[in-house]
Amino acid sequence: MHDDVITLKGEHLSRSFGEGDKRTTAVDNVSVDLTAGQMALLMGPSGSGKSTLLAILSGLLHPDSGRVLALDQDIWAMSESQREQFRLQHCGFIFQGYNLFSALTARQQLELVVRWGEGASRREARRRADEVLSLLDMGRRADMRPGQLSGGEKQRVAIGRALIKDPQLIFADEPTSALDWAHGEDVIKLLRNAAHDRGATVLIVAHDARIVPFADRVFYLEDGRMVEDDDSPHGPNPPARLHLHRSPAH
Amino acid sequence: MSYSLATLWYERQRYLPGVLAVGFSALLIGLQCGLLLGLFSITSMPIDNSKADVWMGAPGVLSVDLGRPIRESYISRMAAQPEIERCEIFLQGFAYWSKKDGGTELCLVVGSRLSDDSLGVNPRLTAEDRLRLTEPGTVIIDESDKDRLGVKALYDVAEVSGVRVRVVGFTTGLKSLAGPYVFCSVATARPLQRLHPEQATYVLGKCKNPEDAAQVVERLRAEYDNISAFTKTEFSLHSRLHWVMKTKAGVALGYAAALGLLVGAVVTSQTLYAATAASLREFAVLRALGIPRWRMAVLVMNQAFWIGALGITLALPATYGLAAVADRLGVQILLPWWLLCGAACVTLIMALGSGLMALRSLRDVEPATLLR
Repeated sequence: MHDDVITLKGEHLSRSFGEGDKRTTAVDNVSVDLTAGQMALLMGPSGSGKSTLLAILSGLLHPDSGRVLALDQDIWAMSESQREQFRLQHCGFIFQGYNLFSALTARQQLELVVRWGEGASRREARRRADEVLSLLDMGRRADMRPGQLSGGEKQRVAIGRALIKDPQLIFADEPTSALDWAHGEDVIKLLRNAAHDRGATVLIVAHDARIVPFADRVFYLEDGRMVEDDDSPHGPNPPARLHLHRSPAH
Repeated sequence: MSYSLATLWYERQRYLPGVLAVGFSALLIGLQCGLLLGLFSITSMPIDNSKADVWMGAPGVLSVDLGRPIRESYISRMAAQPEIERCEIFLQGFAYWSKKDGGTELCLVVGSRLSDDSLGVNPRLTAEDRLRLTEPGTVIIDESDKDRLGVKALYDVAEVSGVRVRVVGFTTGLKSLAGPYVFCSVATARPLQRLHPEQATYVLGKCKNPEDAAQVVERLRAEYDNISAFTKTEFSLHSRLHWVMKTKAGVALGYAAALGLLVGAVVTSQTLYAATAASLREFAVLRALGIPRWRMAVLVMNQAFWIGALGITLALPATYGLAAVADRLGVQILLPWWLLCGAACVTLIMALGSGLMALRSLRDVEPATLLR
């Protein structure tokens, strides 16, 4: 069991944008902790600051105040290159768009990460890429380019790109927003498997309340503040608060 | 296949302008340099057409047609070299040709031995021509220069440096640059060039083994400081380069080549910049995953290299093709290997420079922008 090991901890995080009268607070004194083997869902309406919080927790955006302990390391006390190295070793990302290189095959999109990131040999990179693509049921589509793949398949490749490093921390921003629910559900299950089978900590930012039953824990953010933290959402119904604020189903 | 090549091939429509721009630059540089070399090879024609391996002239000689008198006895210096099989004197210099009906024209008098084994005689002079030239005061000019020299028919007479000469034959296809070539014997050439009987312009030497020419030249230079010595190839290039520089053609060439390079650099740089900018989100994902920025820079530089290499590959046959077309039109374009290598190197450096300029687009790669 991984449940009791805290892998990602945010303490009193705040972040504002703009100057003077136009200054807006995106994240306001938020604290959060996530454990290994857990898939957490961060929900909230548009502009609630959830993507900003994800960026801060993942080492992509500097907070104005507070600190982030990732795998017991204060990532915002690191130098830029140390943080880059940390992300390289421990973090996987899945973004809203698939952001795949149009000229490269599914296999090459994954190979690139380990060849450039870890300096893996061509053969080693290919072996690992094929292994991950098979796990994602994409083995037979490995030689296809993004233009030849469906939206769901492209998102699987994007997930493969995040998983090939076998990261301990996986961050996903609206990973299902461009997919129909059948494919979206597949993607969420894959991410949950990454948490449960690989012991990774998965943090998903999403609007879609249909993801809630799959999450081990749900956070709700509103106007930059954490208004709900439900760590037992496994029942058939999401928390009442989520019903009130959820976005229309895609 | 590398990622950069895979990208170039898959998005060839996007990269094609860059490849064509590089090709255009390489073509422009190659053809212009070749054209100038061809043009000024007219100057070095007496050297290129000679059988001599070593040329010895007055010190600091600038070009074969600008030779100053040396003592004929210097031939013994050449003859003393063990690698030399035989040697002879050669005369070449500018003189004024006075036309029969008035007016003068600058001409280039070339006086050589006329025997079959002569080192300096022009191979376009037939045995019959050479026989006719043995008569003192006879000259042969090119058909194309008849009007310029006011010669209407065979055996017409004119004056060169105040000395009466008779035209006893015509060559064909011998182009001239500064002044028409006037071929004659050594004995005829001396008064035309106002040289004393014991003077010559050059001493030519033929080596038993042509590969020894450089060694002979080196020794002559070391032993005598009142002469200059060259191998055939050196002197030919030396003469051509002198005229390239003197006529400011080199400057014109530099401008035109720089313009070609600039066009190539701008188009290539913009092509790479646009291509990189179009992939900013993909690069941003890699940055988020911790891939260092220099890896992406290497990818862009790789693409720049391949654009350069492909452009040069396209330019090469095009350059040869256009040179062949020019040749049919009577314009000589010389494309020696070192010229083509030079043009390729300059173009490749330009392409890599364009890649460096395009790297600025990578500054905009910011992973946080992916989180909306």
